[in-house]
Amino acid sequence: MSLFELPILPMSATSVAGGCASGGCATGGCASGGCSTARPDQASETSRREFLKTATTLTLGAMSLTLLPGAMAGDESSSATTPPGGSHPQAKKPMYGFLIDTTRCTGAGKCLTACRVENGVPEGQARTWVERYVHFKDGRVEVDLVPEIGYAASGEPQPEAEDVLRAYFVPKLCNQCVDAPCNQVCPVHASIKSPEGIELVDTDRCIGCGYCVQACPYGIRYMNHETNVADKCNWCYHRVMRNEQPACVEACPTGARVFGRIDDPDSEISKRLATLPTSVLKQHLGTIPLTRYVGLTDEVT
Amino acid sequence: MTSFNDTRHLWALGAFLAAVGLVGMVVRRELVPDDFGRTGPYRASALDDIAARPSLFQADATCHACHESVEHERAGTLHEAVRCAHCHGHAVEHVATARRAAEDPSIMLPPAAEWDGDFFTKVDLYVTKDRATCLSCHAAVVGMPADFKKIDVALHLEEQGASEPLAKETCFECHGGHDTAP
Repeated sequence: MSLFELPILPMSATSVAGGCASGGCATGGCASGGCSTARPDQASETSRREFLKTATTLTLGAMSLTLLPGAMAGDESSSATTPPGGSHPQAKKPMYGFLIDTTRCTGAGKCLTACRVENGVPEGQARTWVERYVHFKDGRVEVDLVPEIGYAASGEPQPEAEDVLRAYFVPKLCNQCVDAPCNQVCPVHASIKSPEGIELVDTDRCIGCGYCVQACPYGIRYMNHETNVADKCNWCYHRVMRNEQPACVEACPTGARVFGRIDDPDSEISKRLATLPTSVLKQHLGTIPLTRYVGLTDEVT
Repeated sequence: MTSFNDTRHLWALGAFLAAVGLVGMVVRRELVPDDFGRTGPYRASALDDIAARPSLFQADATCHACHESVEHERAGTLHEAVRCAHCHGHAVEHVATARRAAEDPSIMLPPAAEWDGDFFTKVDLYVTKDRATCLSCHAAVVGMPADFKKIDVALHLEEQGASEPLAKETCFECHGGHDTAP
């Protein structure tokens, strides 16, 4: 072990080579010359251990320097990201939240069209959708998807109102998990957790492996069959950065979708969150979603 | 003597590893974007790329900037929260042209077309009095909130004594589009 580590040191990091030589050579000579024949007395054991410690630390340290150029660029980046005025310290990044009020959704599907137009989503695919849960009086629960053109124009057969115990619509969109599984599995760092906490796809870097699509426990991500890279709801990041509302929120006539800053106590979303009981989807997975729901039942996952 | 031979082997191994490390660093420099890792484990300029996409879905405020009378007409009515885009199209071209026309008076705005009845329509800007537009929101569907104005079409038209229940514009016999109050 100790013999193999010595030659690695001078080559893998020139800056550390001097330190290695001074630290390693004295004990290194002992290790190569003496160790095989020396009696395992207390003193030589200690020095070998010391040598191994030093050599391993220096080797790993030197290797990590070559593997992580980001760490070496650390000093420049901290000064580079601070704006000239210094008015936006990193700690003051806005915190956004999304609230879905299932008691207000009417299932008109206007949000779906708005999202498609805004983000150029191909027909047959969706960044957001609306599910309808119908609890029948005989105990059955049926789930269907709200057609984008609305139920009236779709001509789909509807359940009889007198058979139904309770029914409600549940819009689904990205939960922007704080601990996002989709982000963790990306092999090329094309999954981005923006400083505002919004999960984005770098379409230039994405290689279309689809691993994130499988990793998302909410089924939000999909492979865009026009671009062949991963696509997902990003709360209309480009609109939010201009202080506009996401397209689906802008399109909702009933206030079932609310977006805003949760660090501003006067915002609509903060007021509603303060007064309404809310919950998140699949809390047991521990992904810490930022999208919160009013009126979820256990059937909704 | 033995230690001398060992040293030669070690130098050979060291040289080999150094070559591998050098090649690795060159390849890595080529593959990793320059701004990678500046703000996190991703290409920093990707944030700007995504943020630079245009906003296409128009907020009502954009429409009201020119169509002030409509804003007054809708204020305080039940349809105040219904977006212009839902009945008049997404008007992406219309807004872009209007913005150019504001600076150059020679640019004429084309008039709005009639809705073609397709919910995925490619018509940029349209007007509609088609009952299908109204019913896309108001046709009674299981699951709607109790306080939402949903209607059973046949029953409602019979109760109100519509003169032409099957006509396309039958809703507009009693209701307006902007102010819906009968």
